[in-house]
Amino acid sequence: MKLIALMKKEFHRFFHDPRLIVTLLLPGVIIYLIYSVLGDVIWDDGKKDFTYDVAVYGESQITGKLEQAIGKDLVFSEAADLEAAKEEVNAGKKTALIVFSENFDDEVAAYVPSAEKKAPQVEIYYRSGDEASYSFYTIATQYLNAYESSLANKFDVNGEAKIYDFTDPDEIPKAMMSGILPFIVVVFIFSACMSITLESVAGEKERGTLATILVTSVKRSHVALGKIVPLSCVAALGAASSFIGVSLSMPKLMGASVGSVIGGFGFLSYLLIFLLILSVVPLITSLISVVSAYSRSVKEASAYTSVIMILIMLISLVTSFVPGIGAWAVAIPVLNSVVCMQNILLFQTSVWQSLVSVGINLVYTALLVFVITKMLSSEKIMYGS
Amino acid sequence: MEDNLFDGGIINADGLKKSFTLTRKQQKTEKTALKRKIAVNGLSFSARKGEIYGLLGPNGAGKTTTLRMLSTLIKPDAGDAFICGHSIVKQPQQVRDKIGFMTGELKLEGFFTPDYLFDFFGGMHGIGKETLKARKSELFSRFGIDRFANVRVKDLSTGMKQKVSLVIAIVHDPEVVIFDEPTNGLDVITAKVVTDFLIELKAMGKSIILSTHIFSLVEKLCDRVGIVIDGKMAADGTLAEVCGGKTLEETFFEIYRGIKGAEV
Repeated sequence: MKLIALMKKEFHRFFHDPRLIVTLLLPGVIIYLIYSVLGDVIWDDGKKDFTYDVAVYGESQITGKLEQAIGKDLVFSEAADLEAAKEEVNAGKKTALIVFSENFDDEVAAYVPSAEKKAPQVEIYYRSGDEASYSFYTIATQYLNAYESSLANKFDVNGEAKIYDFTDPDEIPKAMMSGILPFIVVVFIFSACMSITLESVAGEKERGTLATILVTSVKRSHVALGKIVPLSCVAALGAASSFIGVSLSMPKLMGASVGSVIGGFGFLSYLLIFLLILSVVPLITSLISVVSAYSRSVKEASAYTSVIMILIMLISLVTSFVPGIGAWAVAIPVLNSVVCMQNILLFQTSVWQSLVSVGINLVYTALLVFVITKMLSSEKIMYGS
Repeated sequence: MEDNLFDGGIINADGLKKSFTLTRKQQKTEKTALKRKIAVNGLSFSARKGEIYGLLGPNGAGKTTTLRMLSTLIKPDAGDAFICGHSIVKQPQQVRDKIGFMTGELKLEGFFTPDYLFDFFGGMHGIGKETLKARKSELFSRFGIDRFANVRVKDLSTGMKQKVSLVIAIVHDPEVVIFDEPTNGLDVITAKVVTDFLIELKAMGKSIILSTHIFSLVEKLCDRVGIVIDGKMAADGTLAEVCGGKTLEETFFEIYRGIKGAEV
């Protein structure tokens, strides 16, 4: 009963403070919005619909081919006066001006590359400051370069209209996600745990409100659990918010659809990821609680926790740079979960490895709860100042 | 069992000792080269049921350390004390059930209301809902807290916060109330409310031990007094026994000069 009362108090503290709820859940929403917008900007940039009104001075069959390639958004008009046409481009009345040298097509057909004779010329006048003009210049240049290469063609590499790359287009975002997502998840879990645990443990110790509880007949182990369990639940909510935000926005950031990336995973994958996260949250909460109980103030606890955060980030990043981490990783808390999450995202799920990791994280959590209980009983730590 | 050894005392301290390690900064402040400071040095005394016992002494005499040991917040290096027959060293949990401890060091979370905190600490002491409700009604009304029951503690005045702390310290109707500097920092009105309540508690048969350096408070409230100087018990007994016809102030300084020489 006393344990339940302690837990209820912690929950009451969080769920009756709108600021804390917003602070905890907002990162997930912000991450989703920022990543999605970034993704849209990065991947939609070349898909803007422009209408190209292009003047042509001189004649060539290339114009017809360009019309076929670009489509109905391209309109050519003949320019009688070269200087007047340039002026129109400069004034923004025309998108661009293409100038073909005299008898361009005949000269191209008869041309043999040599140092003595100058090659037939195509000139494109445009304005790089104008999005439509620059876009046309880019497309036209690419097309003309490709056309020029094809004229002197000796052999082609992958020249047929076939699929040579067997990679599923969705594989790339998935591979990237498997490398980044577990790291980001751990960072968000840590941030969520830190934001509430420091205040709840170090803050209460600093303000003397923890001692008020310790002077009652409640067991120290109940006080420890009465902190860890609710703090873990609340931190899990914060971490879940961030996790969902990242999971939904990451595919967008990588130019893939959410459904194609996330939908590829089965129920077991989700369950294992959920369990791994669930085991890391109380572990990190307990770790920060130990540091908070040891510290004399929130400020001191924040300094120690920052160092731990860097260590945990390094552990999480190791998996991205060290290939072939073996089964021994399950013995190392946090790292085991990152490795398992990475394997799941790469479709190399090892159920036993994931479950052992969850179990090991919980064992470490129990050990840390025991340490906190001892610390709460230590007058040197609790009333040392 | 143990309290029989102490002539019916409900609080029996037997040779309590406590020393602390001094940091370099503390060594400088205290102007000493010693690495450890003896705060309490073999303190023995006995407080009886239904009486108020006062620990009187200057700052740094070891009064607060003694009360912290009695309330089981810290452990003695040597010696023991028995409260209602329970050892503070071996049975701290049972001791905590018997005592209500009030000190400026113990604070209440400003986020919560007196109403919530009363119920919470009642739960911490295992008090039933009905008993808790009746006790809350009685104590809140007695201290004028009822009007502020749902105001967050951080928004209360200092005096009202002190009243709420007092009420929460005795939520479980303890047999023994331990009070460190009961009127410290209080305005005259709140101080009178507190002292009146201590007298009322005594009338209800509760045993109270308090620490103070205010002579008038001891003369007004205490049945027995222990004068503590440098962690040692310099005098102990009823006011009449200790003072022997003189005022408490005269007696204190006479003892103090006898121990410390011509420092005063």
